[in-house]
Amino acid sequence: MTTTALESLALPREDYAYGFLDAFAKRELRRRTLKAIAIPGYQVPYASRELPIARGWGTGGLQVSLSLVGPESVIKVIDQGSDDSVNAANLRRFITRMSGAATTTDVLEATIIQSRHRIPEEVLREEQALVLQVPDPEPLRAVQSDSSKTHQMHADSDYSQLWLVLYEQLVRYKQYLQGASYPSLVNGRYVISPSPIPRWDTPKLHQAAHLTLLSAGREKRLYAVPPYTDVYPLEFSDVPFQVEDQRTWADAVTGVVNKFMNEIPQVDGTSAYEVSDSGYLDKLVAQQQGERQAFGATYYDDEGNFYKDGYLKALVRPQ
Amino acid sequence: MYVATKGGEAAIQESEKLFHALKGQPTRDLVHAIAESLPYLVDRVMGEASLYAPELAALAIAQSGGDLYEAVLLLRAYRSTQPRLAYASPVTPDKTLTVRRISAAFKDIPGGQVLGPSLDYSHRILKLEILDGSDRAVSDLHSNGHNAPDATTVDESKPDSPASPSYPFVADWQRSAGLLAALPVQESRQPADIPDVTRDPALFPAPREHRLQALARADTGGVLALGYASMRGYGLIHPTVNELRLSHAEIEVTHPVTGEPFSAGRVRVSQAEVVTSGDKTGLSLGFAATLGWNEVKLIAAATLDLEMNQAEPHPAHTEEFVMYHTEPVEASGFCIHFKLPHYVTFASSLDNLRKVIATYYSANEDNAELEPMTQRTP
Repeated sequence: MTTTALESLALPREDYAYGFLDAFAKRELRRRTLKAIAIPGYQVPYASRELPIARGWGTGGLQVSLSLVGPESVIKVIDQGSDDSVNAANLRRFITRMSGAATTTDVLEATIIQSRHRIPEEVLREEQALVLQVPDPEPLRAVQSDSSKTHQMHADSDYSQLWLVLYEQLVRYKQYLQGASYPSLVNGRYVISPSPIPRWDTPKLHQAAHLTLLSAGREKRLYAVPPYTDVYPLEFSDVPFQVEDQRTWADAVTGVVNKFMNEIPQVDGTSAYEVSDSGYLDKLVAQQQGERQAFGATYYDDEGNFYKDGYLKALVRPQ
Repeated sequence: MYVATKGGEAAIQESEKLFHALKGQPTRDLVHAIAESLPYLVDRVMGEASLYAPELAALAIAQSGGDLYEAVLLLRAYRSTQPRLAYASPVTPDKTLTVRRISAAFKDIPGGQVLGPSLDYSHRILKLEILDGSDRAVSDLHSNGHNAPDATTVDESKPDSPASPSYPFVADWQRSAGLLAALPVQESRQPADIPDVTRDPALFPAPREHRLQALARADTGGVLALGYASMRGYGLIHPTVNELRLSHAEIEVTHPVTGEPFSAGRVRVSQAEVVTSGDKTGLSLGFAATLGWNEVKLIAAATLDLEMNQAEPHPAHTEEFVMYHTEPVEASGFCIHFKLPHYVTFASSLDNLRKVIATYYSANEDNAELEPMTQRTP
């Protein structure tokens, strides 16, 4: 038998598996993801492989995206709201290179949206998956650094120390101080860190049509908010949870208000504002320039009303 | 522009191009030169990457311009693409070819102290003659200045009396002398049943296998910092190096068709044992081993192995603290991720800050009750 004959029996050499990860890693991720969906808000440990991007730069989200992606997928990647930040561009380039999936910046076209710390302004649909990158999955980390103890606290639904933190903030500052990653109760059972999305985005998880998967690569935990699941930010009944107050901020180019804004410091000491969701902003700008654009419904209307009536209490100015 | 509203992809490609332009493109010759002339660097990268592949490690070093965290990440990411095809037989030290083996616990030990290759007792003097092209300096580069014997050099005048390939264990002598508890009986296990920190979730308390694997692939600098803090008095352990070994080991794999064992290759391995007599009821042993030769890491790691068993260790020496924070890829990656834009999360905390300032600095408020505000921005 010649070498040529042996070679003819082998599959052509492929430098990398489809979606980069080998089949065993993908199988593990899919099983863990199913478990996470079955137990909303529960942090499922997983092995977490190294990927060719730096740890802490979205490897948790990327592993989940790579286990979900197929040739028919349409990928949108955003970083702090922006499709064009270098990190988002890099992740998008990698997913496409390893999967052949198409990419988009329009959230309406996307099937998988991997995001670092924003949920888009247009309402996500049932067939869409939102993959949030998570730096620290443990909402109890600040009050308990020992993970075997936090595991027990979650098992016991013992969140008393989180309530205490909120209470102390009220006593000292007359308001809650948690900025992004506002701790939230999922399905009436587990408190999660919704990843450092701004408070503006936290309500979008409640009874959402889409699936949200949250994955922390360094910390090796993934958890999920399945579609149509209750998500409530922790709040005392007499002191409501408040989203960021940007009511007076208008986008410098389009004049749009009541969307989450980036504050851009100006040389004269003032600030300009820009819609943080760059995919949405691009469409607004294109429309103003006369191009026809398709828009989805937004979570907040032009008056700042959230699309689920009664879920958010009115914003209050500090007294 | 940092966050380009357009052109992010072009920006990263140009940035990468500039990086390579400033250091020169790696070539095959450079990779081979690194593999041959910088074995300790290559060992460190392979050890921290948990992948024994000198040529690939050298390529990673060349490609990253010598940024070791980048090199380790390159190799780890490559490792993620490789399926596990087979398990090798356990490498037992009695079957390895040991070239250096020392004990600080006793002046002499059964089998003798074997200095082997080491710069420990060299004069740390830059051989400036090399810069002038002096050959003599090159040939003299590793000598100690007083012609210490080199165990790796084959003495051609005595081909029939090779050095002993293996040595008895100091710990065995201590066990027979009643100073050290007997080894627990190990049940034989299928290799696939051994917990693997690269394939299992990290849970605490960690199985011993995870702890030793995590130390084996830990960041050299990170392990050193925590180990050194312990040695300096923040921990409870004063380590004595019981035995330190540098060896070559055959990786024996069973042929899937014939069932015959065969050598898949030879790897450099190192291991360290430290002892402490802290509790006066007997010696306690700390252990660490890694792919490649990396003595400083192993002594620190073996010390931490003991430290993590203490009832009330320094917070920095709990198992969870050590294992998480000495992970080179995770620690370096998270540290440099702070270069990513954080303006959304920053805006969310600024919103609170402005409200608090408005509350406390409004005209009719008493400013005296203002407390300093501290808040972590994720």
